[in-house]
Amino acid sequence: MPVRPASGPRPPGRVVAAVAVFLALACLPLAQPPAFFESFLYLVFLWVALATSWTILSGYSGYFSFGHGAFFGVGVYTTATLVTAGEMPFLATLPLAGLASLLLGVGIGAVVFRVRRLRGELFALLTLAITFVLATIALNTPIDGGPGVFLSGVSMPRLYATPASTLYLMALLVAALALAIAWQLQYSRVGRALFAIADDEDVAEVMGVPTFSYKLRAIGISAGLAGVAGGMHALFVTYVTVSETFSITVPLYVVLMSVMGGMRRWYGPALGAIVVTALTYAFVGGEWALAGRALIGLTLILVILFLPQGFAGSIGAWRARWQPRAARSGAQLTPHGLSPSEAPATAQAEAAVARPSILSLNPPAAAASSSGALHAAEAPFLRCEAIHMAFKGVKALDGVSLEVHSGEILGLVGPNGSGKSTLVNVISGLLQPTAGQVLLDGEDLALLPAHRAARAGIARTYQIPRPFARLSVLENVALPAMFGGLQLAPAAALERAREALDFVGLLDRAADLPATLNLHQRKFLELARALAIRPRVVLLDEVLAGLTPAEIDSAIAMVRSIRDAGTTILFIEHNMRAVLALTDRLVVLNQGRVIAHGRPADVVREPQVIEAYLGTAAC
Amino acid sequence: MPSATLLAQSVLSGVFSGALYALMGLGISLAWGLLRVINLAHFAFVFLAGYLVYQCIGVSGWSPTLVVLLALPLFFVAGVALQWLFARFSVDEFGSLLVTFGLTIMIESLIQWIWTADVRRMETPLSTWSVKLGPIYVPVAESILLLVTLAVVVAAWAWLRHTYVGKALRASAQNPVIAAAFGVSHRRLAFLLSGVAAATGALAGVFVAVGSPISPSQMFGSLGVVLAAVILGGLGNPLGLLAASILIGIAEALTMALTAPSWAPLVSFSLLIFILVLRPDRV
Amino acid sequence: MLSLESIVAGYGDAVALSDVSLTIAAGELVAVVGANGAGKTTLVNVIARLLPMRAGRLTWEGADLGRLPPQALGERGIALIPEGRRLFGAMSVEENLDMGCYRRSARALREEGLERVYGMFPILRERRGQMAGTLSGGQQQMVAIGRALMARPRLLLIDEPSLGLAPSVVQQVFEVIRTVNAQGVSMLLIEQNVALALQVADRGYVLENGRIVAQASASALLERPDIRAAYLGGV
Repeated sequence: MPVRPASGPRPPGRVVAAVAVFLALACLPLAQPPAFFESFLYLVFLWVALATSWTILSGYSGYFSFGHGAFFGVGVYTTATLVTAGEMPFLATLPLAGLASLLLGVGIGAVVFRVRRLRGELFALLTLAITFVLATIALNTPIDGGPGVFLSGVSMPRLYATPASTLYLMALLVAALALAIAWQLQYSRVGRALFAIADDEDVAEVMGVPTFSYKLRAIGISAGLAGVAGGMHALFVTYVTVSETFSITVPLYVVLMSVMGGMRRWYGPALGAIVVTALTYAFVGGEWALAGRALIGLTLILVILFLPQGFAGSIGAWRARWQPRAARSGAQLTPHGLSPSEAPATAQAEAAVARPSILSLNPPAAAASSSGALHAAEAPFLRCEAIHMAFKGVKALDGVSLEVHSGEILGLVGPNGSGKSTLVNVISGLLQPTAGQVLLDGEDLALLPAHRAARAGIARTYQIPRPFARLSVLENVALPAMFGGLQLAPAAALERAREALDFVGLLDRAADLPATLNLHQRKFLELARALAIRPRVVLLDEVLAGLTPAEIDSAIAMVRSIRDAGTTILFIEHNMRAVLALTDRLVVLNQGRVIAHGRPADVVREPQVIEAYLGTAAC
Repeated sequence: MPSATLLAQSVLSGVFSGALYALMGLGISLAWGLLRVINLAHFAFVFLAGYLVYQCIGVSGWSPTLVVLLALPLFFVAGVALQWLFARFSVDEFGSLLVTFGLTIMIESLIQWIWTADVRRMETPLSTWSVKLGPIYVPVAESILLLVTLAVVVAAWAWLRHTYVGKALRASAQNPVIAAAFGVSHRRLAFLLSGVAAATGALAGVFVAVGSPISPSQMFGSLGVVLAAVILGGLGNPLGLLAASILIGIAEALTMALTAPSWAPLVSFSLLIFILVLRPDRV
Repeated sequence: MLSLESIVAGYGDAVALSDVSLTIAAGELVAVVGANGAGKTTLVNVIARLLPMRAGRLTWEGADLGRLPPQALGERGIALIPEGRRLFGAMSVEENLDMGCYRRSARALREEGLERVYGMFPILRERRGQMAGTLSGGQQQMVAIGRALMARPRLLLIDEPSLGLAPSVVQQVFEVIRTVNAQGVSMLLIEQNVALALQVADRGYVLENGRIVAQASASALLERPDIRAAYLGGV
């Protein structure tokens, strides 16, 4: 299920409802419920806070942490140490507990997020190992020393008459804080970026998301919340031990709750936390406790097998089924009642190409400065200077230099393995060249992270489309509009995304998932994502491969119209007919070197080009 | 500084605990490396087998040979069933971790329900029997464990390296489509491997029960250190696993001898962190 | 021997092959040429049963292959040299060759097959214990050919053997293809290097956008100006 694209103004009714529920719960102790009820709800809120904090990192960005025991534990011990040895007032220690965990999280992230392979289960194991290292250190140093820390003498802040009610209220506040942050994040730019990172981190970076710093933010917020929850819990248990605090229970339960509840929605982990805590609490005492545990294990298995998106995902799917489709997509552009999947995209594309609204696609300055045909004399504004790229000693690019002139379509061709895709990856910033420069308006982008290239106005498409699988078509296009050169706010980015989708003829599929598109439509989705940032240069990597002749014709028309609107294009293609039809100049790569460049019709006659393509008489 | 004798004794006990880590980790390493399944329930299998051994040999007094002969096929079938579940629902790597965690909780609850959370101890003649070699005491039960581990690890290595089935498993792990084009049926081999992995877990369970007192809470205690050895040794690499396990075992034992026993976990986990950060390609 | 009748296939909802018919007689070397994305590799994958076909009929030595799993093709004498080699990179050269004779009936002929492959590519004998992933591109292609030959095929499917190789190595590879064909093995050769492919082939098919647009004897195709022109855009 795509996450709801509602990032415009939030319905005020929901905020009011949320505040009302919060106030009602906050007033609950006035009704003097039985003490066990308050401590039960305390545990519910504690786990809601912890599971939600986990989801902000792991559910949103896809980095599965098994280290929440560490973040929780650092919070517990920070508070325990400060209130006993430091004799600080309890409430003052809570921000410090959060801060200590936040610093730990950011510290871990600063090292780990630089290592590309450390995702998924490896990140999980790493964070688990960090938990055990911290536990060992705490156990063997004065932080704990072995016997544990007693907090029985610590005075309880009097928010309510009884300590149980006070703790209840604090847990409610912490849980509400976590939920509010998770809610806020889900619909903000940061949240969009994290979801994109979870689906395809490289593509997110290439579209302008500074992935490293966003992941640091996520782990910092997540760890900080867990730390505050830990600090609070220290007072609840009053006797803190290493084996209880840093146990495997915390990470496993938060994962369990979040996975069960659904970890790509802000309220999912809370649902899971409520269900699991209730199950454990319902089976108190002796053999029933064991039955409760076994039931939790069984539930986890069944959820993974049958509800891989958790409760919240299923609720979302159910709601989506019951809402009329048009209301969701906001697209009434298919007046002929064709089912969108049957709609001939080619025809739509042709219609789109003919539409005059195309000028709005580009910055007025660019549109005015170039009128398509009159670009020959212009200075190169994208220049590759002696680019070398070696993978483990194998030279993929061996001193490639080329210039792209403002407003032109430069063709880049060459046999398979000649280095075309590597060059695109270097220009778009995904790969850092072994040597050489990529100059855009004189600024060298070669060694900068990929998101800087996107911000400078370079956009690319992928030969094999790489949409964010769990974002809707509209959100896929809105993401680069938020993070590429334009840096739009979410609402404006959605508007911009609709324009780009309209241009490529996919507006009626805006609410669908990319997986429901056919190959041709996915290629046009790639194009829409590139156009959404109002790029100065677009790198089109084999947009035509796999299309039928009719689709190729419509794609050629579309590429031409993009150029005519003022966007410079680097056109990588195998289809020679299209290359000759579209390009102003042509560069031929073979075995990592430029072997010819110039006017297309001349270049294809050069003997070394014919040899590279047709092959010599080898035998 | 402790005496040379004490250090030698520590190293020896480190080798023995390393052998147990290797025997426990073998099934995890094989399934993770060759089937991309992270089977946390392997620990549960080990302990379930341990308790069954305790019950049948320690309490009911059955013949140990008979119990081992029954346990191995029983757990083989369990492993096959687990793999069937993963194949049927096409569970991915992370999903397998969560599903087997759920299974671990269920088995742990079952163990607690039958045998309670108390420590159980099986008295056998082996438990206390040791031989004195010079100044060093060599416990007999652990020596048998070491020999069995060596035999099983070398057998697993030879199986993967020198038989057609083993080569097919490795080939299929690298590229199932091309392997299929050469006649390899990944599905059937996966059942076989998962069964074998679970059977080695049952074997480890025998030694868990014989060597020391057993309690359900130990299940998670050994998890970290065994996973560290599995990753350090290289997934799907039995000899590497054995080397890494013994290295970790010795490092732990020396840490215990030179500092306090409670510092021991620091060694394996720091090692794991360094490996993951510096050489993530190993996994 | 091998016959394809009106094959339709594709990935997801994209059609990669439409209405492709093709035959290979015993001992014949048939080349299928065409630009990238024309559907050549799809064609190989369909014949190797790695990709299901949507329509059409695929027969080999009179038997219908259309319902068989890929594992069953080896028994019927069909072996594949896939595009980009696709070796088992973390296994040694000899282990890769062993995978060629995984099928029980081929195992008995292992020693003989190894001798044959090492005789053809002496460098592989020297490198027999080396990890296949660390070999040069040319040596990897030799292993891929050797692996397929270990299966004692009567039909070899060869997908883009020249891809990414230096010219001298390409020449060596094509000499081997010629030699093996001369020993009576039928071949389907997929190549983007049109001249090269048509020089060794008996007959050729030209594939464009998933359709066969021309078929003739290789020498006839090679003479046709429009074939040369088609790949450099009407020059």
